[in-house]
Amino acid sequence: MAEAALSIRGLAKRYDDGTLALGGLDLEVPAGSFFGLLGPNGAGKTTLISAVCNLLRPTGGEIRVFGLPNSSLAARRMIGIAEQEPNLDRFLTVRETLIYHGGYYGMTRAESARRADEMIDVFDLRAKADVRAPKLSGGQKRRLLLARALLHEPRLVILDEPTAGVDLELRHELWRYIRRLHEQGTTIVLTTHYLEEAEALCEEIALISGGRIVARDTADGLKRRYEAQTLEEVYLKTVATGRLAAAREEEVPA
Amino acid sequence: MTGRAYAEQPFEAPEPWRGFLWLSLRECHRVLRLWTQTTLAPIVSSLLFIIVFGLSLGGRISEIHGYPYEIFIVPGLIAMAMAQAVYSNNASTIFQARNDRYIDDVLAAPMYAWQMNLGFNVGGYFRALMIGGALTALAAPLTGAPIERPLYLLVVVPLLLVGFGALGTIVGIYAHTFDHIQFVNNIVILPLTFLGGVFYSVENLGAPWEEASHANPLFYVVSALRYGFLADADVSPWLSAAVLAVIASVLVVWAQYLFSTGRRLKP
Ligand SMILES: Nc1ncnc2c1ncn2[C@@H]1O[C@H](COP(=O)(O)OP(=O)(O)OP(=O)(O)O)[C@@H](O)[C@H]1O
Ligand SMILES: [Mg+2]
Repeated sequence: MAEAALSIRGLAKRYDDGTLALGGLDLEVPAGSFFGLLGPNGAGKTTLISAVCNLLRPTGGEIRVFGLPNSSLAARRMIGIAEQEPNLDRFLTVRETLIYHGGYYGMTRAESARRADEMIDVFDLRAKADVRAPKLSGGQKRRLLLARALLHEPRLVILDEPTAGVDLELRHELWRYIRRLHEQGTTIVLTTHYLEEAEALCEEIALISGGRIVARDTADGLKRRYEAQTLEEVYLKTVATGRLAAAREEEVPA
Repeated sequence: MTGRAYAEQPFEAPEPWRGFLWLSLRECHRVLRLWTQTTLAPIVSSLLFIIVFGLSLGGRISEIHGYPYEIFIVPGLIAMAMAQAVYSNNASTIFQARNDRYIDDVLAAPMYAWQMNLGFNVGGYFRALMIGGALTALAAPLTGAPIERPLYLLVVVPLLLVGFGALGTIVGIYAHTFDHIQFVNNIVILPLTFLGGVFYSVENLGAPWEEASHANPLFYVVSALRYGFLADADVSPWLSAAVLAVIASVLVVWAQYLFSTGRRLKP
């Protein structure tokens, strides 16, 4: 497939309170890639993701998903998102949450119910299948969020800090599962604050700071470019100092 | 998990109609899950009005427009119960969805904005129709209230539902706290319906209160339902229907504008 999974041109967002979260960001994520988005708190990762998923009113720019405008129905159908903050329907049980989600995305009841059961097993939620979302633990909510994102078999899976607050076992389980999806051709975009997670999983990494992409390469490429031993060193040399180094902009290869 | 690579699968065609139906189903599911609050309570309180004001005091009040008092008040009470139900249902469902952000699951889904808007309204329609249906069924044997103009009701009841449903949607989208939703109900809808002639004919008020009542939009809602049930009202049934249609259109356009632009629904 020639078309990039995600193609972003000049994306800008100024929130109503005046905060400039993104200032003309460009990003291309090739189809089938496993892509990491790293950056400090407030860098604009969630803002970027929300814009892609039609959950934000951008103030400028263009977003295409597999060549289609991101607001088109076909593009929406291809995206699966797990947001950073758990946002579960308080009136629905675990199983209902999944089945209704499939319905919103245009699946039939039978198809959606089948996938819901599959996801319930994958994310080890069997014992909680008939429990309503507010009664789940933090980690269980996170599992349900991931199950919901994957339920309609999206081609582009966007995970905003999926492993924050989950136990070690699920983290490894999740890694394994996402890797398998990726092997089957799904494009994955992941944000995380665990650098070893990014290094272990992602083929390509973009570092974002102050609403701009400041570097983008494979983990090894980044290490070479910044003469660093670890990804952490690269992170410290780029985005962590980004705040005090706005003046050094020219030196930082974009 | 299928072994076939996703990249080789044909694109899934979006099925926006199905999404819309599931959203509607979700809204009805919510109403039924909370049925004691959403449906039973309003039915009981309206019946209390009929029993207390109509049956117990009614004998001391002379007939209005040729109808015994307990019959005269039934249509207005049904109008009030339905308007409040559809309004508060839609305002609170949108407000909760925004507050917990699970509205994102709908806003990101492959549906048209008008389908999202309408889907969120369906629960309110369902709830108000259950209440209206139950009250009609109970009031008829209790008071002997007739249904003289069923076809007219088939026009004005949907206008009432759409108008007050859209009002609920708008307030649910703008509200910062749950109190704002209650405020509009207690300070706007409830008093204006009372003053719109649920319990009296505005003709009996005399100038200037009779004229002032004609500036109250809820007066036309009460009049419309009264005409549908009793074939009698203070104003022309066509004027009432027209006022309802104008109110509903303006509010629907406003609500749709909010959904189409994402204003206040999305940061
Ligand atoms: N709704 C909002 N209104 C105003 N400003 C906002 C809003 N949401 C985010 N911001 C601001 O936009 C900037 C980017 O925030 P964003 O949530 O995109 O960061 P992030 O990279 O996801 O951070 P984190 O790693 O902490 O999740 C921050 O300065 C933040 O304060
Ligand atoms: Mg974030």
